[in-house]
Amino acid sequence: MVVFLISLILLCPLAAFTVFGLLGLGNRSFQRQDYLSTAAMLIALVCSFLLLGEIAPDPEPHTVNWISLGGVTFSMGFYLDSVTAIMLIVVTLVSSLVHIFSMGYMHGDPRYPRFFAYLSLFSFSMLFLVVSDNLLGIYIGWELVGLCSYLLIGFWFEKNSAADACKKAFLTTRVGDVGMFIGMMMLFTKFKTLSLYGEGGIFALVASLNTGDMVWLSIAGVLIFCGAIGKSAQVPLHTWLPDAMEGPTPVSALIHAATMVAAGVYLTARMFPILTETSSLVIAYIGGITALIAATIAIVRFDIKRVLAYSTISQLGYMMLGIGAGSYVAGLFHLTTHAFFKALLFLGSGSVIHAFHAMHAHAHDDENDHAHDTHGHEHDDHALVHDHGSEIPPDQDMRNMGGLRHKMPITFVTMLIATLSISGVPFVFSGFWSKDAILGGVLGRAMEWNSVHHYLLFGIALCAAGITAFYMFRLIFMTFFGEPRNQEMHDMAHESPKSMTVPLLILAVLSLPVVNILWFNENYVQPPEQPHLHAPQHAYASPDSKMDEARGTLSLFGVSEAVAAEESGHDTHGAHADDGHHGHGPAHTIAMVLSICAAGLGIFLSWLFYHKRTLSAESVATTFRPLYNLFWHKYYFDEFYDGVLVALTVWKARLFAQFDGTVVDGIVNGVGKVTRDFLAVFIGVFDNRVVDGAVNRVAEVTWAIGGRVRRIQTGAIQTYLFVVIAGIVLLILIFRAL
Amino acid sequence: MLLSLMIFIPLLGMIAVLLLPRESEELIKRVTLLFTLIPLALAVALFISYDRSTAGTQYVVNVPWIQAFNIQYHIGIDGLSVTLLLLTALLGPICVIASWRNIEKGIKAYMALFLLLETGMLGFFVALDLFLFYVFFELTLLPMYFLIGIWGGPRREYAAIKFFLYTLFGSVLMLVAMIAVYLNSGAPGARTFDIPTLITLASTEGHALHNLNFQIWVFLGFFVGFAVKVPIFPFHTWLPDAHVEAPTAISVILAGILLKMGTYGLVRVNMAMFPQGLDFFCNGMGFWGNSLALLGFINIVYGSFCALAQTDFKKLVAYSSIGHMGFVILGLSARNDSGITGAILQMFNHGVISAMLFLLVGVLYDRAHHREINGFGGLGTKMPVYTGITTLAFMASLGLPGLSGFVGEALSLLGAYDKFKLLTILSTIGIVVGAAYFLWTLQRVFLGTLNPKYEDLPEINGREILTLVPLGILTIVLGVWPNFAIDMFRESVTSLIGVLQVN
Repeated sequence: MVVFLISLILLCPLAAFTVFGLLGLGNRSFQRQDYLSTAAMLIALVCSFLLLGEIAPDPEPHTVNWISLGGVTFSMGFYLDSVTAIMLIVVTLVSSLVHIFSMGYMHGDPRYPRFFAYLSLFSFSMLFLVVSDNLLGIYIGWELVGLCSYLLIGFWFEKNSAADACKKAFLTTRVGDVGMFIGMMMLFTKFKTLSLYGEGGIFALVASLNTGDMVWLSIAGVLIFCGAIGKSAQVPLHTWLPDAMEGPTPVSALIHAATMVAAGVYLTARMFPILTETSSLVIAYIGGITALIAATIAIVRFDIKRVLAYSTISQLGYMMLGIGAGSYVAGLFHLTTHAFFKALLFLGSGSVIHAFHAMHAHAHDDENDHAHDTHGHEHDDHALVHDHGSEIPPDQDMRNMGGLRHKMPITFVTMLIATLSISGVPFVFSGFWSKDAILGGVLGRAMEWNSVHHYLLFGIALCAAGITAFYMFRLIFMTFFGEPRNQEMHDMAHESPKSMTVPLLILAVLSLPVVNILWFNENYVQPPEQPHLHAPQHAYASPDSKMDEARGTLSLFGVSEAVAAEESGHDTHGAHADDGHHGHGPAHTIAMVLSICAAGLGIFLSWLFYHKRTLSAESVATTFRPLYNLFWHKYYFDEFYDGVLVALTVWKARLFAQFDGTVVDGIVNGVGKVTRDFLAVFIGVFDNRVVDGAVNRVAEVTWAIGGRVRRIQTGAIQTYLFVVIAGIVLLILIFRAL
Repeated sequence: MLLSLMIFIPLLGMIAVLLLPRESEELIKRVTLLFTLIPLALAVALFISYDRSTAGTQYVVNVPWIQAFNIQYHIGIDGLSVTLLLLTALLGPICVIASWRNIEKGIKAYMALFLLLETGMLGFFVALDLFLFYVFFELTLLPMYFLIGIWGGPRREYAAIKFFLYTLFGSVLMLVAMIAVYLNSGAPGARTFDIPTLITLASTEGHALHNLNFQIWVFLGFFVGFAVKVPIFPFHTWLPDAHVEAPTAISVILAGILLKMGTYGLVRVNMAMFPQGLDFFCNGMGFWGNSLALLGFINIVYGSFCALAQTDFKKLVAYSSIGHMGFVILGLSARNDSGITGAILQMFNHGVISAMLFLLVGVLYDRAHHREINGFGGLGTKMPVYTGITTLAFMASLGLPGLSGFVGEALSLLGAYDKFKLLTILSTIGIVVGAAYFLWTLQRVFLGTLNPKYEDLPEINGREILTLVPLGILTIVLGVWPNFAIDMFRESVTSLIGVLQVN
């Protein structure tokens, strides 16, 4: 049943794409590709819910041999535990809603069917990644979602900025993927398998490593994490994600907010059992730094989609931080809540952009076919304005917005809910709980281990939380409150059609703590063991010896292994943190209070700046000019990459090519010339006597064949034929002699 | 018998074509197509009936040929040769179809030479006698020389001569090594060119062939011969020139089959026959012990970077071939399951994918009459089908999982990492650069605003799609289920590793 359902989940979207691919060969497309793809997704959604009832308490992977060699076998298969099931629901749910939303948003696009086919291919790849039981399968899904991301970012490829952005996305993530592949090679060489679960799987084998292998294991863990750095847009490979906003907005919602970019977090969570202290700390730091850097950049952006993009990067950093700090459940919990509220934010921004598009359409065109113009208009604007990639299309510029709450009430209310959720406004919004779980987890580990690193990370995360609340409310205030800044655009704006608002409403409901049900049930998701993660020596809690003693005692008294494992689990990998969202523990309480303060402060400041206007953003920007410049220029990452790395690579390529053309080929031509001159003399001696007849005969035949051979028969060919024949003659002579 | 039929039917076709009047061009083309389709049909029969459970050679024919030197007409196939034989038989008719419209002059001679070339290639992959092997090796050379030199582009003569000279240089060294092996194979009268016998002798303790020093030298002789074909740096500079000048179908054969002759030779002769020599060059100790893997690494990185700098579409694909063949060398030097399997898969897959790439370049060239990458732009709107197929081929070539290119590359790397950690890690640079040049090309040719010059460029036509579809299907099928191919040669690889380990 499990295999059947999972196969169905995968095959439905794949079939929808295949229809498109086959018809595409004849330059045709199925006009109702949108229904086909959406139906496929809805079937997958139903199957995902059915799978919830099929989770085995101790799941085994379902595998087939994919590549069988003499000595090694690579298997492919499915693995279904509670985390897989939750991810399946998140992906199919968001994907279904995005499909429906796109029917409105993309309506009239000349490549409308293709858009849905790509969405199907993406959904298939993402789901394949989620259900894979082994690293190779994850890697395959991983690269395929990268391809879909490439195709969808470049969906409007006539725009040069989109063409640049899709290439950048693919290449940047590929840098991370190579790191991941090297990590896979390390694991494969050691364990001769890439399967994760089961008796012969990596997780079982890792447990038996001894302390001498810890450096090796840390390196392998960090390398695998490199893939996540690329895909989840963590510093320093984050620069592709803001540019990816060149894609249609539903794509940004599905791929670049809810699902694909979260795959990195999912992978890191999956690899939880191989993480050591060192690799965990690296992950936590990368996550923490990303959360802070991206949040600070978001403050100064005016493009509504870019604000959301940086906020996505920042939130992904949070999740990484959570997992790196041992809060496995909290990290994944935040992944799910974020998927819904961030998809909502993006779709909401899409709704706003759509409203402005429609304005242009009405202004320039008769009302039918307006969405077609929608997209054409976008191109024109981009072609004109988008020269440097940093210009903002007017329909995405928050400086053209304001006061939209009356015009677009549904969009406004739903986006507000999502904003309250991401900002961590307490109790009635899902984001509060998940973010708090991470903060509590980090603080918990800091207190438990008495670790300076984790205190520092907690501080960073808290700052980022405050900043997040600030810039998210800045977005809401600038877009929906105040006076309209561009009256002409404002007059034309209107609420979006039902196909777009219904998904918004559903996602708004999902941004309330309903999804938390899955996570509140304590036993539903259990963090896996981390056999090689130990509290440092100076930690207050549970020195190793004591823990072993306790474990020994328990088994002496015949307490089940499971309990012992869970006890030790609590002690070793900070399950305190994972309890965080249940509202227990001092760390959690402190974290909760502090995070509420941070969010409150952020929102308050935002209100002062952008609504009440008692403080002026401009004057603050002037006062802190260097800092403002740093944020505005996104910490100069792009400048560094384009100016140094890309330039160096291209320079090196040219150098190699020049070397090839002049030095290597020069030597070859030189040798060739010398040889030819030498052979010419050589032939002069032997030609008449030994091989003249033979050469002439061969030449005659070739003349007869070619007819035009004479032109290239500059004498050279005789030389070459001579050498062949001379070789054979030489051979015969040698044989004779023997 | 089946094999002999397969080899010599194209030769028969050549005679048939030569007998036809020069003017009846359509007939000539049809006859040629027929005589390439028959080997393909036989190849399909072979694919079905080939026994995948054994490493032994099958369909063996062994009759005396030149008895004075104990030379035999010994042919047969094992897992490796059957794989490449199928590839050759498949590309034959595809190339004939691809040449249908764009060979303007001397179609009769062209087709005749093409059929001769096919005989040479098919024969090369089944020959089990070193002398026969060499004859077929040389047999491909002449038709290739004329096909490039007569039907090529503006610099065809230079390219053809360069190709010829290079290969000849290699094959002379090969010939010397071959004679050396022959002379050491036994007492006068008992000497042999028979490959299986030589393999056994070379592994026999105390035999003259079982000698490290001797094996190193003959290894080198054969190696240079094959290295030119592969091509391995620094013997590669004939390739870009030959590709740029050659007509589309000949580029396809060149990249698809001729390069594989080099790597096939490395496995068949250098690895199987001289395991001690091989060990010297890839045991991982010192400079020489890393040299083979080093060459693989250089090919990958050097080829990829050179490709990145190209602005000629065809030259770019040519350099990408150099990079991709590097994975074969790297995989072979690992001498383990995944490495060798990866290398063989990569040979086959590269044959399929590079054939697609050259066909695609040809499609564009036939329309625009130039190949300057920067001279296009925005074709994606004008030619959506062509763009789609090109994207597929590019993705396959840059090693996107789910398509065949990935499997060979990944297995080669996984195998090589076991033995050559640093070189393998450095080789992964090629993966990024490979993606870079293909995506950059994709952008410059297909994305962005449409170049007004190509407002009315016609879409890819049915005939062209027909040549690409079988290759595209293979790319997807082998990417999704690589065992289809691996089943053919799994036992052969195991037995080869057995030979390598004994020594």
